[in-house]
Amino acid sequence: MDENTVNNRDEQDPSKSSRRNFLKNIGLLGAGVAAGAGALYSGDIFEKKKAATGESKVLLTQDNKLVEVDSLELKALAKNPTKLMLEKGREGIEGRRWVMVIDLSKCRNARRCIAACQEAHQLKPEQYHLNTLQMQDSPGTAPYHMPKNCQHCDNPPCVAVCPVDATYKRGDGIVLIDNERCIGCRFCMAACPYSARIFHWTSPKDSDKHNGEAYNVELNVPQKLGTISKCLFSADRCREGKLPYCVSACPNGVYYFGDENEDAVTNGTTKETVRLSKLLRDNGAYQLMPELGTKPRVYYLPPKNRLFPFEPATDESPKEG
Amino acid sequence: MDQIINDLSHHIRLNKGFFLWMGFLALAFLACLYAYVQQLRYGLGVAGIRDYISWGLYISNFVFFVASSLIGMLISAVLGLIGLKWVQPITRIAETIAVAFAAVAGLVIVMDMGRPERLAYVFLYARFQSPILWDVTVITTYFVISLLLLFLPMIPDMAVLYKRFGNLPGWLKPVYKVLSLNWTDHPEQNRIIHRSMYILLILIIPAALSIHTVTSWLFALTVRPGWDSTIFGPYFVSGAFVAGSAAVIIAMFFFRKNYKLQDYLTDLHFNNMGKVLVLVAFVYLYFNINEYLVPGYKLKRADAIHLRELMSGHFAITFWLVQVGGLLIPIALMLFRKMRRPLPLTLISVVVLIAAWFKRYLIVVPTLAHPFLPIQHVPDNFRVYTPTLTEIAITLLSFILVLIIITLISKFFPVIPVVETAKEKGLDPLKSNES
Amino acid sequence: MKKLFYILLLVFIMLLRAEAQNPGWIVPDDQKGKICLVKFTPDMVKQGEALYMKNCQSCHGIPTKKNFAAIQPSPGDLSEPKAGTQKDGELFYRITTGKVPMPEFRNILSEDERWSVISFLRTFHKGYVQPDPEKMAASMGKRIRLSMTYDTARKKIMVKAVELTKEGPVAAKGAEIIVFVQRYFGNMQLADPKPTSESGYAGFDWPQDFPGDKTGKVILGARVNDPTGSMQEAIVRDTLAIGLPTNKPALTDTRAMWSTREKAPVWMILTYTLAVIIVWYFIIYIILSVLDMRKIKQVKNT
Repeated sequence: MDENTVNNRDEQDPSKSSRRNFLKNIGLLGAGVAAGAGALYSGDIFEKKKAATGESKVLLTQDNKLVEVDSLELKALAKNPTKLMLEKGREGIEGRRWVMVIDLSKCRNARRCIAACQEAHQLKPEQYHLNTLQMQDSPGTAPYHMPKNCQHCDNPPCVAVCPVDATYKRGDGIVLIDNERCIGCRFCMAACPYSARIFHWTSPKDSDKHNGEAYNVELNVPQKLGTISKCLFSADRCREGKLPYCVSACPNGVYYFGDENEDAVTNGTTKETVRLSKLLRDNGAYQLMPELGTKPRVYYLPPKNRLFPFEPATDESPKEG
Repeated sequence: MDQIINDLSHHIRLNKGFFLWMGFLALAFLACLYAYVQQLRYGLGVAGIRDYISWGLYISNFVFFVASSLIGMLISAVLGLIGLKWVQPITRIAETIAVAFAAVAGLVIVMDMGRPERLAYVFLYARFQSPILWDVTVITTYFVISLLLLFLPMIPDMAVLYKRFGNLPGWLKPVYKVLSLNWTDHPEQNRIIHRSMYILLILIIPAALSIHTVTSWLFALTVRPGWDSTIFGPYFVSGAFVAGSAAVIIAMFFFRKNYKLQDYLTDLHFNNMGKVLVLVAFVYLYFNINEYLVPGYKLKRADAIHLRELMSGHFAITFWLVQVGGLLIPIALMLFRKMRRPLPLTLISVVVLIAAWFKRYLIVVPTLAHPFLPIQHVPDNFRVYTPTLTEIAITLLSFILVLIIITLISKFFPVIPVVETAKEKGLDPLKSNES
Repeated sequence: MKKLFYILLLVFIMLLRAEAQNPGWIVPDDQKGKICLVKFTPDMVKQGEALYMKNCQSCHGIPTKKNFAAIQPSPGDLSEPKAGTQKDGELFYRITTGKVPMPEFRNILSEDERWSVISFLRTFHKGYVQPDPEKMAASMGKRIRLSMTYDTARKKIMVKAVELTKEGPVAAKGAEIIVFVQRYFGNMQLADPKPTSESGYAGFDWPQDFPGDKTGKVILGARVNDPTGSMQEAIVRDTLAIGLPTNKPALTDTRAMWSTREKAPVWMILTYTLAVIIVWYFIIYIILSVLDMRKIKQVKNT
């Protein structure tokens, strides 16, 4: 209950939500429960190894799960959960450089990746963090299906133009959006050559239901009216050591995801882990519009030796909801 | 002297026409304000813009407003510093237009924001790298300089009118008294005004060039075909002079007619303004040729799609109307002296100004309608942009605001500098009956 | 017409080639007999259906609907006798090992999950009777213990397999060893499986450019290749400092146009700040001096 009060206050007064003092004060309110959610969020599998004091508390989290939290951690995290997640979300996962490889020869436009993505990020059917496009590079070449998401560029034109640091690039390569900061100018949309960004023109999906929930910047949920959203490389899942939603949902082995520093990517369907450099070299990998100098973190493997005939996408465009 | 004062100030009164006009503006303002309230409540979705074409009327309108405000600098600073005497009665009209458009341009950009209540973040979390910070900075600066350029020459006028214009409405007297800053034609005072004006006239040149160059950079700093251009700065600046000159001519015509200023805004002024308009239109034409011929010659893939859509595709009718009807034909017509007389010149200016607005639309929308990657699996209204009524009403709101500001300034202050006009004729503004 | 002909010809050739390259999918005899050790239950079937829809349906389609994907070799509808006549062990082996283009589900589905998928498929196979699990008790396999070392001179990872017999440990010969490296999202198999030698050793070349952590440490593992689980799972893990020390800076370390405000390029901060200061210095100076005008009259009068 306490948690809702915390968040509602935050919701009603967005201009204040960023002020430290204000947050320090309300942080005391409902500290227990808020901290519980925070602790769960921080769910740092790596840090959990710390020795416990033996004293622990059972708390009810945001998603109605009972969790046991060590009482030492309680004090450390007695803060507003949104704020906590925002702080954490600004730092990447140390030592990592996420990279995605999309094997076009396997994509059959099953669109499961899209469904999983829209489910996780609370998106309407016409809102895509990830969209599978039917491509044909020139009249003489073969058509193919191409999943297209945010390329998480190392020279991101969208981040460069943001006036308020609402969209930012982290040390681990992920380009994120802070929708508690976004002013909705949509300059980033204009700047992105990959059309990767979407905007909440109308109330986001189920916004009534999610109203008052703590904002998780690594999942960009709950989505907010008048702000930008886009693919996040499932930053929340990366933190937990799990593959992104789209990657694990693919039935056809299209996606590989991993860490460039480890020179390894894992296929979301077969769970097979392979060497990134070898995969790219053996398959003649390329990037989307590298001539623009954006330095994408997504690689594509060309659609050669396909095991199935090309089936054109049935263009069932969703209605605006 | 009394003659001049009366001629230039007789319109400063609350008459029926003024109330009717302001009443009309106020009603229209409220109606359009309702549209904006709708947008505040339900989000930008009440407008026709969607993903892909995410900038539409509002941004086009913003660019147009910034463009129109640029004229203050051209008339006051460039022509003034060169020493052209004939521009002197027009300067205040130009500055009024500059102030009105610059002030409202700032509001137009707020209308386009998804989260207008976070406006303060632009300063709170300002990023030096973002052209939006530069734009906000230069527009504020330009607005303040323009306001000063409007206000400083008005100080002596207000002092003179306060002392010598018997028909000055009673409620305006204290305003005039405060704003005239105890001006008594003291040489030291005139020296301060003169020196300040000089500094301002020099300052406003880089400030004005910046506002429109930075505004053009909002587009040119992206990689999209149609925007990715190195000449966007001067292209926008020259286009702005065209729009602004047309706006000044239209304003001159209305003030001359409504405030009976035929003796002060003569056919000569119209003729000369016509010449200015032709000159800037030629410069603009030159940049247009550069902007379309250079990519059109090479036809790189994305550029080719963009140009095809403009010249023979979805936007072709608007494009040719704007380019031929709004630029080529007006240039040709205005080469003739007959066409630079007040009425024909004003009509031409109206066409040029409308074309200038649509030109901004043609710069903003077509580029967004054709991104590098195909638009698929989205509702039809994501592909084709159709402005909604609410959106048009909100756009009109900004125009109404501009008209209100121009009306108020021109109604309660002399449109033509009184003291300067007097001194031009060798009269002492504070002493009566010398002539 | 001509176009159609060519397409048909092409499809025909492809079929021929596929046939030629596909000499059948042979299940080793010792795997065919494997059976599920519990009775299939309705719960199991339900779980199997969910897993099938998630993992299999995109190629095999919904059973009995014959809406399987048009791939070569054809996945086929699994409710058909072609699958129905196979033994449990055969289906289990095929699901476990896969065969291009079918993925191997060894790491995707647990053994229980694989069985539940089979239990779901069996509901479509008329006349199927599940073999009695009771009979299958004796197939417990050997017990193997592994150890792992790095041979610096030969740049090889040496895995030693020892079989624990009743008589005591004996070097295990011919056990297929797989070596893997732990990565963030899963284990990476280092090379093809290798059988152990007479002395129980298998050596794997260690690529010298393989990235480790900051100090070059890599977590390695080795296990016996045992797709059916007939041997008791034999596995070993170890951390060896044999990788390339990798300590790449965070991507946000340098000042750039896209960095946060704090990391804006210096020239940009300076230019912006200077321009604003200079212009506004003059503006404020003018405003102040104009306001000063008010005093001038008073001075003159007094």
